[in-house]
Amino acid sequence: MIEMALVVGLLAITLRTASPLLLASLGETIAERGGILNLGIEGAMLIGAFSGFLGAYFTGSLVVGFITAIIGGILTVLLFGILVIKVNLDQVVSGLAINLLATGLSLYFFRIAFSQGNFPYLGQLIDPMPIPGLSGIPIIGDILFNQTIFVYIGLLSVPLIYWILFKTSFGLRLRSIGEDPFVASYLGINVERTRFISLIVEGIFVGMAGGLLTISMFNTFDTRIVAARGFVAVSIVILGRWNPWGALTGSLLFGFTQALSLWIGTFLVGPAAPSISQLLSLLPYVVTLLALVVGGRKVRGPASLGSPFAKE
Amino acid sequence: MPLPFIFSTGIEEGLSKQASFSGGSEIDHLSDYALYVRGISKTFSNGVVANNDVTFGIIKGEVHALLGENGAGKTTLMKILSGCLKPDRGEIYVNGVKTRISDPRKAVQLGIGMVHQHFTLIPTFTVAENIALVSSSSRKLELKAVEDKVRHVSKSLNFEINPNTRIEELPVGARQKVEILRLLCQDVSILILDEPTSVLTPLEVEDFFRIIRQLKNDGKSVIIITHKVKEALSISDRITIMRGGKTILTIPSSQTNASELASYVVEGFIPNLKRVPTARGEPTLSVKGLFIKGDRGEMAVKGLDLSVHSGEIVGLAGVTGNGQKELVEALTGLRKVEGGSISLKTCDLANKPPNFVINSGISYIPEDRMRRGVILGMTISENLALKRIDKEPYSKKMLIDKEALDKSAKELISIFGIKASDPCATAGSLSGGNIQKLIVARELTNAPNIVIAEQPTAGLDVKASEAVHQKLLDLKSKGAAILLISADLDEIMKLSDRVLIVFGGKIVGEFSSDSLDMEKLSKLMLGSE
Ligand SMILES: Nc1ncnc2c1ncn2[C@@H]1O[C@H](COP(=O)(O)OP(=O)(O)OP(=O)(O)O)[C@@H](O)[C@H]1O
Ligand SMILES: [Mg+2]
Repeated sequence: MIEMALVVGLLAITLRTASPLLLASLGETIAERGGILNLGIEGAMLIGAFSGFLGAYFTGSLVVGFITAIIGGILTVLLFGILVIKVNLDQVVSGLAINLLATGLSLYFFRIAFSQGNFPYLGQLIDPMPIPGLSGIPIIGDILFNQTIFVYIGLLSVPLIYWILFKTSFGLRLRSIGEDPFVASYLGINVERTRFISLIVEGIFVGMAGGLLTISMFNTFDTRIVAARGFVAVSIVILGRWNPWGALTGSLLFGFTQALSLWIGTFLVGPAAPSISQLLSLLPYVVTLLALVVGGRKVRGPASLGSPFAKE
Repeated sequence: MPLPFIFSTGIEEGLSKQASFSGGSEIDHLSDYALYVRGISKTFSNGVVANNDVTFGIIKGEVHALLGENGAGKTTLMKILSGCLKPDRGEIYVNGVKTRISDPRKAVQLGIGMVHQHFTLIPTFTVAENIALVSSSSRKLELKAVEDKVRHVSKSLNFEINPNTRIEELPVGARQKVEILRLLCQDVSILILDEPTSVLTPLEVEDFFRIIRQLKNDGKSVIIITHKVKEALSISDRITIMRGGKTILTIPSSQTNASELASYVVEGFIPNLKRVPTARGEPTLSVKGLFIKGDRGEMAVKGLDLSVHSGEIVGLAGVTGNGQKELVEALTGLRKVEGGSISLKTCDLANKPPNFVINSGISYIPEDRMRRGVILGMTISENLALKRIDKEPYSKKMLIDKEALDKSAKELISIFGIKASDPCATAGSLSGGNIQKLIVARELTNAPNIVIAEQPTAGLDVKASEAVHQKLLDLKSKGAAILLISADLDEIMKLSDRVLIVFGGKIVGEFSSDSLDMEKLSKLMLGSE
């Protein structure tokens, strides 16, 4: 029975560590389906994490933190959207610029808000919310129904986004823009508006993904808190073939290897333990890379992903 | 009220606009037109004046052909009518009512729809999805309803199509019909078709025209752009000629003929193809027992043999989808060969990379010019030099010599008559025909050993077509081996010394140019011999 408890624990942690990746990759899936490659997702997550932390810290309310995280995410992605859609700058360059800007801004305001050497933390965190009735189910209940709001939102959004992308007219139009924005505009589709809508949705998801790091996971803020999760999300989108179900699979794969390496780490003893556990923490990245090599070949993404669009 | 059969917009005949357009009868008169525009001008941001005070009208229920040289401004005018471009000046009347067409959606609401010069179907979407893209107004995607509509409309046109087929699996002829189908599913009454026939085989064109005639019988008005005067004469009621951004003449089709039209399109054009008798030399390109797989893993070319000698033009005739595409891709190093051999003289070419093929002196004019022929975002001079950019005179010691690039571009622009504002303009700013000229210019200079020409004159006006034909004949007389693949049988017969018929991935027949039997050829093409 001990083994069972262990597996359940491992899977529950998998979902928890996967949740920021799931939310971020769902948002990125929507943006990329419309042909926009947002590498600024890393920065948008950072701003989400920072604004969520500030909101929660200064009002003492986690709900406010949740909302400010989303607002921070939306604003950052919208700024990126203005650069690439309105000013027509290169998507990759703009994304990287957003990342630099986000690091700079959050560091600057963090220093202003909190004196140096002072490590602020939140009094409370968004904790798991067991779902009455369901959380009692053996095994499944502990894995699925005793999680934070972020996990629930992520899991419920998978079918929702699938439905939007593949079963609504909006989704069809968005995908056509991702294939060929010029053709879409000839067909009378409003490329700019549709893309902005998709970016706002991405902003909501990325804001949540960032916010959960501060207000549900780490309890504090640091400019390195995102730790490349945004970039991992971008590769999960490819691994998941631009499909929300694929994003779920990819996030779980990453989350699971991360949970696994943490768990193995607890057994390590002796002087070499810290360096080995450092090495182990690379495992999820290595696995993602391998999965990309194996599963990411020959996949066809949106045909015009990342390419510029300007009307005469 | 009787309609004036010829209205001319000044310039040529010195007639000014019809008197009836001023004064009280104007409203009457305009209401006979499904669409009437006057004074339309459009200057692009790079300073090119594409339309200059254009007047043009299409009567309800007529088929109206629009002819003109490459770069005359036909596409620009049509894009303005369908809301894809905004005119700088001018008035547009739909059914006699003055309107502004702000975007393609507005145009469709007014009953105007356009099939563009280059496909506007999403290749990875199905037929139904492509149509739902424009016709579905509900939030939820009602694909079932769209599929039913597609079946219904396509049946009324006698044209079978499975709405669940993906576009990339369809031959060009069927794609063209899907474009029309999409317009009809949007209930438009004025159809604008920009060069819909340029890559269709004669049979497909006939079938396509059948549909247009049926649309006309249903009371729709059709504008069709074409470079083939014969087609214009056979399908249209009236013909308008554009030149230099203006409409210069409108004339009923019954009152003109092919050679007169050609001379209107290109001022004073008289066909004058010079042939130098050439002795056939040694085999240059030999293909033996070739096997190639198609996109879906099926064997598309099954043991094909073929040879092209130096000083010879070999025409490859066949219905699209019989292995031509795969053959050409294998010859140019773009597709893997499963079995058999390809050789240039004694050098083996099978499964060699494209740059090896290019460096062996093989030129390639691709059918899909927008994707294979040019890089739209790069300049004209870069595109012209692209295949030899690492060689003299374009590069010296690994550095690109921009002056040499521009100098040679200027020469080619004038030799091939490319209508471009400046060699540093992007290829994407050229008109469709001028993009084709650019590719031809790049591929037919530098004395190639072998030329693989796929639809080399698609979208070219009479003069430019003849220039390309002349160039191919000149290369032949200098000893090049030329393989010509064209949907246009007239073109194949005009140029080829031998015609090979391809069917089901094999050569099923051969004719020499002096013993062509059209009936037998058509039968072979359909595989019924
Ligand atoms: N987007 C653009 N930007 C700049 N110039 C353009 C653009 N589109 C067209 N032009 C120029 O406008 C002129 C008219 O082009 P248009 O496409 O209307 O010609 P066309 O009559 O359709 O020719 P073709 O028979 O070759 O298709 C050309 O000189 C072309 O180079
Ligand atoms: Mg054109």
